[in-house]
Amino acid sequence: MTLLASPAEHEDAPLSNRAMAWYRFSRNPAAVVGAAIVISVILAAVFAPWLAPYPEAAGSQVDFRNRHGAPSLTHWFGTDNVGRDIFSRVLYGYRISLGMVIGVLGLAVPFGILLGLLAGYFGGRVEWLIMRFTDVMLALPPLAMALAITAVLSPNLINAMIAITLLWWTWHTRLIYRIVKGQMGEDYVEAARLAGASHAHILFRELLPNCVSAISVKVTLDAGFVILFGAALSFLGLGVQPPTPDLGTMVSTGSEYLPEHWWESMLPGLAILWAILGFNLLGDGLRDMLDVEL
Amino acid sequence: MIPYIAKRAVSLLLVFLGLAVLIFVIARVVPGDPARIALGPLATAAQVEELQQEMGLDKPFVVQLGNYLSSLARADLGKSLLTNRPVLDDIRQALPATLELVLFTLLLQIILSIPLGVVAAVYRNTWVDNLSRIISLVGIVTPGFVLAILLQLLASYQFESFPVTGRLDRSLDFTADVTGLLLVDSVLAWRWDVFLDAVRHLILPATALAMAGVGQVMRITRSSMIEVSSRDFVEASRAYGIPERVVAGRYMLRIACVAPLTILGLEFASLIGNAFIVEFVFSWPGIASYGVRTILQKDLNAVIGVVLVSGVFFVVANLVIDVILGLVDPRHRLRAARST
Amino acid sequence: MKGSPAGSDDRSAILEVEHLDIGFTNYGRRVQVLHDVSLSVGQGERVALIGQSGSGKTVTMRAIIGTLAMPPGDIAGGNIRFQGRELLTLGKSERNRLKGGGLSIVLQDPLLSFNPVLTISRQMDDIVRYADVRAGVTRSKRRRRQHLVDTLERVQLADTERVLSSWPMQLSGGMRQRVLIAMALLNSPSLLIADEPGTALDVTTQQEILALLNRLVEDGLSLLLITHNLGVVREMADRVYVMEHGRIVESGARESLFDAPSHPYTRKLMASVPPLYGERVRKVDNTGSTPLLSLESVTREFVSERPFFGKRRAPLRAVDQVSIDIDKGDVFGIAGESGSGKTTLARMLLGLTRPTSGVVRLGGQPVHELARQSSFRRRLQIVYQNPGSSLNPKRRIAQQLAVPLRYAGLTRGAIRSRIPELLEQVGLPQSHASRYPHELSGGQKQRVAIARALSVEPEIIVLDEPTSALDVLVQETVVELLLDLRKQYGLTYVFISHDLSLMRNFCNRVAVMYRGAVCEQGDTATLFDAPRHAYTRALIAAIPVISDAEEARKPAVTRLEREAVLVSTTG
Repeated sequence: MTLLASPAEHEDAPLSNRAMAWYRFSRNPAAVVGAAIVISVILAAVFAPWLAPYPEAAGSQVDFRNRHGAPSLTHWFGTDNVGRDIFSRVLYGYRISLGMVIGVLGLAVPFGILLGLLAGYFGGRVEWLIMRFTDVMLALPPLAMALAITAVLSPNLINAMIAITLLWWTWHTRLIYRIVKGQMGEDYVEAARLAGASHAHILFRELLPNCVSAISVKVTLDAGFVILFGAALSFLGLGVQPPTPDLGTMVSTGSEYLPEHWWESMLPGLAILWAILGFNLLGDGLRDMLDVEL
Repeated sequence: MIPYIAKRAVSLLLVFLGLAVLIFVIARVVPGDPARIALGPLATAAQVEELQQEMGLDKPFVVQLGNYLSSLARADLGKSLLTNRPVLDDIRQALPATLELVLFTLLLQIILSIPLGVVAAVYRNTWVDNLSRIISLVGIVTPGFVLAILLQLLASYQFESFPVTGRLDRSLDFTADVTGLLLVDSVLAWRWDVFLDAVRHLILPATALAMAGVGQVMRITRSSMIEVSSRDFVEASRAYGIPERVVAGRYMLRIACVAPLTILGLEFASLIGNAFIVEFVFSWPGIASYGVRTILQKDLNAVIGVVLVSGVFFVVANLVIDVILGLVDPRHRLRAARST
Repeated sequence: MKGSPAGSDDRSAILEVEHLDIGFTNYGRRVQVLHDVSLSVGQGERVALIGQSGSGKTVTMRAIIGTLAMPPGDIAGGNIRFQGRELLTLGKSERNRLKGGGLSIVLQDPLLSFNPVLTISRQMDDIVRYADVRAGVTRSKRRRRQHLVDTLERVQLADTERVLSSWPMQLSGGMRQRVLIAMALLNSPSLLIADEPGTALDVTTQQEILALLNRLVEDGLSLLLITHNLGVVREMADRVYVMEHGRIVESGARESLFDAPSHPYTRKLMASVPPLYGERVRKVDNTGSTPLLSLESVTREFVSERPFFGKRRAPLRAVDQVSIDIDKGDVFGIAGESGSGKTTLARMLLGLTRPTSGVVRLGGQPVHELARQSSFRRRLQIVYQNPGSSLNPKRRIAQQLAVPLRYAGLTRGAIRSRIPELLEQVGLPQSHASRYPHELSGGQKQRVAIARALSVEPEIIVLDEPTSALDVLVQETVVELLLDLRKQYGLTYVFISHDLSLMRNFCNRVAVMYRGAVCEQGDTATLFDAPRHAYTRALIAAIPVISDAEEARKPAVTRLEREAVLVSTTG
């Protein structure tokens, strides 16, 4: 005899995951704006060679007659100290920034997640080792360390990325560790173990899905901060070297010509702000949407 | 309470030890010969070798590590290749400036962010809330160096009210010899003109430094307060007729401030990092400037010294935060006692 | 039990709710939560509002106290009058004056109702201090303190100094409940609203708390009781209102309601309370069976953590020399309150914890040896208490059902065909396979948990409080399902619970645990009809029943015995 679930059990069916999330997203103008900004940055970076009005500005070509040109209809962001169109350089600069984001996060995030999973799940000595190591790494002031590493390893883009990656994973480890530790008390973990599931199954099929929301939010926010960090490094002269168009370097070189030629440093600075703003708003929006506690 | 502090201090000491070893390992493992790097490509082999011996680079790794740790214990950080003085002296000279900047910034952050966060939470979804959210967003999103330059631009070139570089006007003849902190020493010496001038010099760099942290902490305070206000015991205390402001203050804030304080502790690390940039832009004579100069010169001992000191800062700051949290929340004490 | 005559037109009514309509807006949709709700509480009366989860009783309570969140809630119509004054039109400060004064509440979960970082004295003093401020009175610190002590004594707490200087987490559940009641009494309220009093506590402790409340009513307090438990209503109420789906479906004096319920919903509720005695008791039999699972003098000790300074404490014996034999086909109940060791026992049965001494055997072989083999997992399964936690919120039902099947060695194809079978067996529609747990109701989630346990065709299923988190109406359907499955598949159940009345109607044999040891065991009928051990008797006597006939058949417990076996909550 089959006993169907009695009608008394049927509560008003809650909206599906997607419907709830979409409802929240649409109520959150900031998230929509953020998404739009991020898309604009990505498009700018990907299609820079086609979008830039003066693609040769990305190189070392100089045009001394056009130096220090104020923003105008022909040069939207003006020209820099050697006559290159700043708008074009900004577009190419976004390539560098996004490249850094992909490189750094692509390595640091999986590594950090893995460590966090292992530490939270296995506990005991594994946990102690991993978390103490993470604590120590966290105590290193990131900028100082990045500076030190790039200084010793000769400043260029790759080394800057290495430096940032070496320190970035710690935050993800901590986050994932905290989530996993919280989940370990839940019965479904034990239920999985009682079902005979392997460690790998529990780590990646049971626990990890519970981290996805938090990871998505954090990665989005991180993208903005990686851009910030990379720009700071090049601002100090330790990241990307001229003549490669990098936003931070542009701010640095441009700052020498303040306040008369303010656009040479301020507009690239604004471009950095634009990108960070986009990722930040989108990340916040995601956080509300996915109802994540970060 | 005392055993709690002692336990935390011990564990942080371990962190510091790990830090020291880690820095050492990185410094030695990184490719390139420190001596050659320091002397530059033009140095002769003989000069390099001489420096190597002087720096102890020819001895086996473990011996080097041992020497390093023992000299650390004696607070000997080696000699700076740049200034040719003990690194410790260099740092001791530069430290007060940074310390003052950082402490002032922290003060600014706490004064601005926590009350604003509370207000934003209490007056949720009104214009006050929206304004505060915009402020915090601007703070988080604006790169430190952009803000620093912008502030310099606006304040000194446009309005000419705040100075752009340095700690003190050269015309004011004063050295801080008691604590090294201008604000404190000037008051002790009853030199209010010095005090005011020091503050004027501090405001711009401190604001530039503070903004990112203010943004984060304000936001966390706000969300923490909102989360706490929906908890059962808050509903219960309202039902008992306890006035809203007391509920907000004593019942919610004490619990809600755990999250922002924790973030503040973590923020401290990036504060030190950002100090590098701000000191650079404002020509502030602190250890960050010292650090940047020595890094560019590849002065290994000095670099290690600077990184170590920054690490100590971070560790101590977190200890202080832990203690405060322990005072505020008894559960924190018990939880901490249970973990390693 | 005394009470004033029923009737909502009693002129001395302290609380009157008339035609209350409340709606709630979520995700853009507005749902009507309360429809035309009316009730009243007279002077010195005990009124109960009974309903299951989702009935609207909590919303009603919140509307009365004034803690209803106004967006997203809205009051579309109706009045609430307290001592003649209309509450809904009162301004905020006026409302505050009433709170903690005429109208007071005791919330459901003792731990959550306290501020964890403040001491008890601090929290209680705040209540008194601000009431004074509102009344324009000032009392010295010493006099306030004395008032706190007096009130604590009124709720029969002995060591008042210790209680006052403690933090909430340092007190036991029962003591916390008493302190909560004390806090509600501080400003001499005329009406006390109690939300599920004692539900989070053991049934014996609950009994004490209810007795306390009755005593307070005798002193002149009026009581509005919000609950889902019919037995509690019978012991505590003079008049009753029954709520379903936001409406009052029946109301009346207690006697008439229990003797002759008129509304079908009320009758359904009454029918679903498991009877302790009489013909309605379901008989579960297991004839001619073979031994399957046994515990031989099993003991489990825990070494407690050393405090930083201080002596090492003696190890804690969670399970003490327990010997039990479970036959194939049994529905074996292990009864006990919190701290009795039943959970630890369950873990040892499953091989998750090893006994400190003694052996657990399955089919003759020691479990801790068998546990290493994967085939063991196919023989012994578990259904947890809280389906919200035993199902992974981020994975679909089908995926979760597949896990034990995969590790039992089934091919993908076999799994794919097995899952629909399982859903059908537990009475769930096929559409549920692709859903996430939060899209299912509590009862449905528990069915999934049962399906998961069933999937590997085990011999034994350990049921750890499987229905405690469910409504009483849903409970019954789950129990029927379990019994049905048992017959079909020849399953053996080990049923762990604190709910003795459920055990009476589900198990054929029961063991009662007390402080880690089994104080009595035997077949259900004998144990309930003629319990021997004092604790068993006290436990059975504390169960809230819904008929006088049952009450009369309960075993007798002398005061001495009660004091000997029950943990005092008076501190």
